[in-house]
Amino acid sequence: MKVVGQELPRVEILEKVTGQSVFGADVEPGGRVLCGKMVLSPHAHARIVAVRTERAERLPGVRAVVTAADFPAVRYGRFVRDEEYFASGKVRYVGDRVAAVAAVDEETAEEAARLVEVDYEVLPAVTSGLEAMAPDAPLLHEDSDEYWSQPDLNRRGNICGHRQIVRGDLEQGFAEADQVFEHRFHVPMVHQTYIEPHTALARFDASGKATVWVPTQAQFPLRAAIAQILRMPMTKVRVIPTEIGGGFGGKISPTIEPAAVALARKARRPVRIVMSRGEDFQTTNPRHPFHLRYKTGVKLDGTITAREIEVVLGTGFSAGSGVMISQGAAVRAPGPYRIPNLKIDSYCVYTNTSTCGAYRGPAGPQLTFASESQIDIIARELGIDPVEMRLRNVMEEGDETPAGARLEDVHARETLVKAAEAMEAVPRAAGDHVGRGMAAAHWLVGGQASSAGVKLNEDGTVAILTGVVDLSGASTSLAQIAAEVLGVSLDDVHVRTADTDFAPHSTISAGSQALKSMGGAVLLAAREVKKQIQQVAADTLEADPADLELDGNKVFVKGSPDRSVSLREVGSKALEHERGPIVSTQSVSRLIPHPAVAAHAAEVAVDPETGRVRVLRYVAVQDVGTAVNPLSVRGQIEGGVMQGLGQALSEACTFTDGKMDNPNLLDYKIFSALDAPPVEVHLIQHPCATGPLGAKGVGEPPIIPPPAVVANAVADAVGVRIHDLPITPEKIVRALKARPRP
Amino acid sequence: MAAERIAITVTVNGEPFREEVPATRSLLDFLRDDLGLTGTKEGCSEGECGACAVILDGRLVDACLIFAAEADGRSVETVEGLADGEDLHPLQRTFAATGAAQCGYCTPGMLMACKSLLDRNPSPTREEVVHGIAGNLCRCTGYGTIIQAVMEAAKES
Repeated sequence: MKVVGQELPRVEILEKVTGQSVFGADVEPGGRVLCGKMVLSPHAHARIVAVRTERAERLPGVRAVVTAADFPAVRYGRFVRDEEYFASGKVRYVGDRVAAVAAVDEETAEEAARLVEVDYEVLPAVTSGLEAMAPDAPLLHEDSDEYWSQPDLNRRGNICGHRQIVRGDLEQGFAEADQVFEHRFHVPMVHQTYIEPHTALARFDASGKATVWVPTQAQFPLRAAIAQILRMPMTKVRVIPTEIGGGFGGKISPTIEPAAVALARKARRPVRIVMSRGEDFQTTNPRHPFHLRYKTGVKLDGTITAREIEVVLGTGFSAGSGVMISQGAAVRAPGPYRIPNLKIDSYCVYTNTSTCGAYRGPAGPQLTFASESQIDIIARELGIDPVEMRLRNVMEEGDETPAGARLEDVHARETLVKAAEAMEAVPRAAGDHVGRGMAAAHWLVGGQASSAGVKLNEDGTVAILTGVVDLSGASTSLAQIAAEVLGVSLDDVHVRTADTDFAPHSTISAGSQALKSMGGAVLLAAREVKKQIQQVAADTLEADPADLELDGNKVFVKGSPDRSVSLREVGSKALEHERGPIVSTQSVSRLIPHPAVAAHAAEVAVDPETGRVRVLRYVAVQDVGTAVNPLSVRGQIEGGVMQGLGQALSEACTFTDGKMDNPNLLDYKIFSALDAPPVEVHLIQHPCATGPLGAKGVGEPPIIPPPAVVANAVADAVGVRIHDLPITPEKIVRALKARPRP
Repeated sequence: MAAERIAITVTVNGEPFREEVPATRSLLDFLRDDLGLTGTKEGCSEGECGACAVILDGRLVDACLIFAAEADGRSVETVEGLADGEDLHPLQRTFAATGAAQCGYCTPGMLMACKSLLDRNPSPTREEVVHGIAGNLCRCTGYGTIIQAVMEAAKES
């Protein structure tokens, strides 16, 4: 392949390095734009007694105030219809939406938001999923029995979803074991912390059409949500995705967009809402906190005979995508291993926080922290090399998931071995408190319904029309696929994301499947365009279309490269030719998931006095299928590792009385360059059968292993095991002090 | 309630601008809203992320923490002034080639931090680059490609 597989800079890179990219807050729609501001609940759980907006409305400069009264009575939610856009009866988290205001400037909008008076009757709140399951816990949704929901969620009390998977015979499995280990783990909520906060700009025109500019990963579902919440037909809602300053799963669900639309409608002016960093931390869709219990039976040689797993996700005030994530968690909870006897219970539980969402690799880091920490503990107890123990149980081609789906394109063993070898290739750093650890995990990369258009311009250049948001290099990779098929260079291909009015339906940019899905549609469309080019060129060249090849911006007869016609000529001739303009739109449907495996290893140094952990080396090996653009692939892996290391060592949203203690970038500590170790990336490339030109999906896996890797390396370095993320200096020092003296 | 307005003259990327601004307006809002230079980004408004980093009289500052009035009579460099017409700054070229910009939101501030570093120290060590960008958060790249881009740009110039 000539273009696919090349490390090419991104197609939009010049705009990015010159400051010309138009992100959410950079859009200028024309006309004076009002400043919108949300009025949010200060209580984690309270009954709304009254909402009075008169004082806010009277403030000079205020152009609109909206509350639940301005919205149709719509309950929404993909799995459980438990959410209303503005809280009416109760607020259920600090940051729950009560009203919104629009004013001529930011200061006036802030003042107006303060002048909206809300009387609350405060109720007891619960922010831990485990506590919310207790029989005497405060109920978030008293009327949940009356909510519409998808079938078989096993809802009861605060539990909005419970999936149980049983395989084999658990008791028999434990009976066959020589030893049984049981451990509990806890992973707190962490936040995506994209550098661009949520923002939305809405305009409402005289025909009753709303246009919303928003940095979203999911323009089509967002259009559907706005249409549903405001009871508008989709033809009256146009979502224009802007350049997006990071998403990581945090820019999928609707947040401020419906309020911006309602304010713009009422004020008859465009309205922009930009979340403050504090609002962004407290009102968006972070990663689920997990309580986990793993019970594992093993033979003395390390063979796992049974695993009993219980996970509890605190999902926040509404089910959101938590039900789906908890169902997926049940399938991936045992890790990339073949385990004959399993019982897995995964609970999705209402809590008084914002609704957790699909943060990159949802459920992955939490499950893997528990599962891979325990594998490490067991290996050490049994005196087996942890790599050997993993290889003894690793899943292979044709194995089944706990849910019974057959797995293909499985490269877990090779990925694991490579990670171990890469770490071993360099001698251990000197020092008393240096340790090494590893962990492996898999993500199941499927594909979603998508369509794309490809056309040949009259000058022989190529244009791609898609609606997929370019989150992490998708546009460049799509252009590479089309360029490969049509025998042109990347510079000859133009690709940009169109909006919901003009783009054919597209998958969302999430779950590592944007390229796999949309790449499939682009590949089909490019192949159809190639056929049309061959038809037109066949007349010019007086040859059989089947004998024509495309390369170097030309069509030529196989074996006779001098009998050729340029794509420029074909492009213009097509307009006179009986077949007409050269263009094709193609669709793909859902794809069966394939496992994409990441195996990581780290070397750390721990200072036993201060508890400080320094990551000295980090090796990330990933099974990626065909790397369409290795520059993008490596970039995604390095970035994912760093986010994962943040979760391992420093990140946690903590709460007091339901209010987040650290909703700012000083107290919520993501990795800076000072914290970041160099990352050594190795790609395992075997073309994936269902991916376009073999691509498998890359984004999620690299964020999943780091917490487990660091926990295992710390245990190796200083002999203490941390069961509760993040692995902070305090926890290490406390664990070292609690250790019995020899 | 409206803040007092102040007349200021600020040179931005070599061009003088005379504007009347509220006393409380930040340099960031002045650049973005009054001058329409939206290349400089807002990430936190609290001086913690570095997305709004610009160079003020040769010093790297967070534009969200500076009043526009404080820039009166001074000179500001932003991402829009990095390239000389079509000629990209070496940092812009190396950022593009190494993949140092992914989503691109931290990129303008990051570029200014790197330029500020290279202005002061044309051939930094890796360690010095790390310290030079320590105040600029990036959530996409993991920093490795950014450090590489700065080292390569230093070699080039």
